[in-house]
Amino acid sequence: MIIQTRNLTKRFGDFTAVDRLSIQVERGKIFAFLGANGSGKSTTIRMLIGLLRPTEGTVEVDGVDVIHHPRRVRDRIGYMGQKVSLYQGLSIRENAEFYAGLYGLAGADLERRWGALRERFSLADTEQEKPEDLPAGIRQRAGLALSTLHAPRLLFLDEPTAGVDVRSRALFWELIQDEAAAGVTVFVTTHFLEETDYCDWVCFIDEGRLIADAAPEELRRRYSGGYRVALEGAPAPRDRIGQLFPGGQIESTPAGLRLVLPTLEPAALAALDRLVAEQSGLRVHIEQPPMNEVFRRVLGERATTGGAA
Amino acid sequence: MSEPLVQLRGLEKRYGERTALRNIDLTIDECQIFGVVGPDGAGKTTLLRSIAGLLEVKAREARVLGHDLTADVTELKARVGYVPQSFSLYRELSVLENLSFTARLHRLPEAEFAARSRELLERTGLAPFGDRPAGALSGGMRQKLAIANALLARPALVVLDEPTAGVDVVARAEIWALLQRERREALVLWSTSYLDEAEACDRLVYLDNGRIVADGTPAALRAKVPLELYRVWSDDARAVARAARALPYVQGARAAGRFARVEVQQARTPGVDRVLHDLSELPGGTVRFAEQTAPDMESTLLGLAERPA
Repeated sequence: MIIQTRNLTKRFGDFTAVDRLSIQVERGKIFAFLGANGSGKSTTIRMLIGLLRPTEGTVEVDGVDVIHHPRRVRDRIGYMGQKVSLYQGLSIRENAEFYAGLYGLAGADLERRWGALRERFSLADTEQEKPEDLPAGIRQRAGLALSTLHAPRLLFLDEPTAGVDVRSRALFWELIQDEAAAGVTVFVTTHFLEETDYCDWVCFIDEGRLIADAAPEELRRRYSGGYRVALEGAPAPRDRIGQLFPGGQIESTPAGLRLVLPTLEPAALAALDRLVAEQSGLRVHIEQPPMNEVFRRVLGERATTGGAA
Repeated sequence: MSEPLVQLRGLEKRYGERTALRNIDLTIDECQIFGVVGPDGAGKTTLLRSIAGLLEVKAREARVLGHDLTADVTELKARVGYVPQSFSLYRELSVLENLSFTARLHRLPEAEFAARSRELLERTGLAPFGDRPAGALSGGMRQKLAIANALLARPALVVLDEPTAGVDVVARAEIWALLQRERREALVLWSTSYLDEAEACDRLVYLDNGRIVADGTPAALRAKVPLELYRVWSDDARAVARAARALPYVQGARAAGRFARVEVQQARTPGVDRVLHDLSELPGGTVRFAEQTAPDMESTLLGLAERPA
């Protein structure tokens, strides 16, 4: 585990912003940290990166006890906030030099590292421009490039895609998934719930408390009507389908059959593959329950079980 | 037939050397929820502000609610509720004081103010927070207050510039419900970067580089998009997405949950069968199942973005 908190709590006077939060983040994973505005997300992040001292509880990041060694943590992580911390008046390139200086990166090392990042984040055309003259999407990409200058193993991204257009968001997530594939752990917050599908794990907090903590697929299993698989174009024998998908429900539709599966495990995919091979002319279309729906249910359940104040 | 609510022909807006809007033709006949979408810097804010009567523009014709935008717009402004991108209410004033201040600007009779503000506070869930300073509200509540404030005097036109940016899913649903109800009596014009919100609009215009590139219902826009969308279901969707990006005709590919979404430009596609074949041969994961799906809002916006101007 690269991040581990136990009963992490922060009180401001009478107000409990974060309430006995225990989370675990696995190395090399993309971890989505979600919650409504004011639910305690930013307070938690500030405690994780050593900017705010918890009232109670423990927090360990990359093997470091953050409460006792806040500085040591900050050297190991990259952070990008809601307002990208690029200096106005300085070009992207000058910003890079400035941040590199903070990490003791200079000369040929800087040239090599920035050269690689410039290439990967498609910043070559814009590195001479000042951030205030650039669209939000490019600013965001530059911010991400700068937060990874010192090649941190752990990235904190606080709403990196807020106010960014769909094309820049798509590109941004491709980059983040590449980072994770290269072994970097990414701790990310977002209000675009469909983006949780780009992540390995989802943690949802409400009023400072954990209300969901699972892989996206597990949340789907618990909080949705399941995957709906349309089988159309050629009549598929019901018996065979029942045999191949023991956990599934079969329904008739005007165009053929519909198979409802609580999750889509590799075994189910393999079975679909087999079915298509067996039945020529069979068209298969899979519908994945959207995450927006899943989260409305998560929050609805909390409301009905009286979890909310 | 009565006059359209918005009638723009050849509208142009320049800031010094820069042309922010060019040759805008737009007719809106009836009350509805009308979305303005497009990349950062496309001119969305400028278009919204122009229609709200907040900017001096040039046009062959520019009439909003029957008022000429190129003449005196004082009367128009009194009939428009406008919410800018950044929070514009008085932070030190309470929720109720902010509303009451707006009511006085509009010379709303006391009884009407009392009834309308009560109704809006109920509908926004802000009723328990009437005495709280606006600056102490959470992000979602602030936006709801700003919208309630814009709706207070029952404007015939409501203009909202990204009112849900950075707002959580629950508050977004509440804002949507609020606007849904207003659309019966008012034209609601707004910009958003959330895909589900764009999808739910009655009509959309897609702006790029100051021009209207597409105009129609979400379904009409989807039908026009020059992209093919594929899904490759796999037990390792991320590896599949990475491999898909290496195919010469693939525009973008990202893992989303159990599948990799793969976008192919229509102009470069080698044909559906060939793409499906290539996708099912990709390395990464052990189980693979490829299908073509209809373009969703994300691929629609991406496809419009890639269109040569």
